[in-house]
Amino acid sequence: MPEDTPISASAAGRKKACLAFLRQAHAVLDLEGSTPSALHALKLKLTRLAARTELFPKSDFAMPVAQARLHTLIAEPNDGLALHLLIGLPGKMSNPHAHSIWCVNAAISGRERNIMYRRTDDGSKPGYATVTKIGEVMVERGHGYAMGDHDIHSQEVVGKEPSYILALYGHAFDRFPSVVWYNTEFSSIRKLPSRRGLAAA
Amino acid sequence: MSAVMYQVKIANTGTTISCRAGQTVLQASMAAGIDYPFACASGNCGVCISQLDAGKVSMLPRADATLSAEQIASGKTLACRALPRSDVEVTWLGRGRR
Repeated sequence: MPEDTPISASAAGRKKACLAFLRQAHAVLDLEGSTPSALHALKLKLTRLAARTELFPKSDFAMPVAQARLHTLIAEPNDGLALHLLIGLPGKMSNPHAHSIWCVNAAISGRERNIMYRRTDDGSKPGYATVTKIGEVMVERGHGYAMGDHDIHSQEVVGKEPSYILALYGHAFDRFPSVVWYNTEFSSIRKLPSRRGLAAA
Repeated sequence: MSAVMYQVKIANTGTTISCRAGQTVLQASMAAGIDYPFACASGNCGVCISQLDAGKVSMLPRADATLSAEQIASGKTLACRALPRSDVEVTWLGRGRR
């Protein structure tokens, strides 16, 4: 982008608000670590940020070419925090997975159903796993969701509108330690290694 | 009334399997006992990226990052998202991550 390209009022205000949010997040994490209560507090703060819809006009964020697109708002260097805006079109889903890093999210608009699972097998058979549903959260305007490092969840964009979701992760996507995917149809588990090597290449 | 079935040839194994309408290439492969590489099985990770050597497929929803426009133009597809619309032949391109 040329240096003289004007920054929109929404972009300038968004950057300021996101940086302020990250300062608050660090204050909570420095005090408590990524405990369930800390993540709950971050979720409430992120929900308040997501409610400021004037900071996130849809015209500032390109729509998905396929059905889901990630926009990085802020990614701190190395293993710092990362704040993303995720757009999902109706029907976009992901099977149960665990990021290996905590996450909190909150909806700007749209609706995303998150289902939480618990692993039920003993882990003795390579590539095999079973999970059972233990809860459900609808992430929509005014609501968010917090998950710990190894919590298993699936997502689906429901309704007729795209979902616009803010997501704060303990690390940026390309710094995730790993992602573990489960498939209830195949009773499978697949662990993807970190992308850190790729990011550094 | 007979269900629509397509033939799917997996070039890596030389196997030809049957695929019901509405079934993905990955689902048909797993049902046939083929160890097709995959992880998320929902269009998010790209592990099952494959070359569509012949035939037509339609795609279930996926994330942008899993398949670029250039990859689509060169005949790449995702086995977990690909619904055959004719008899097809595919070659999986990776084992493990992309």
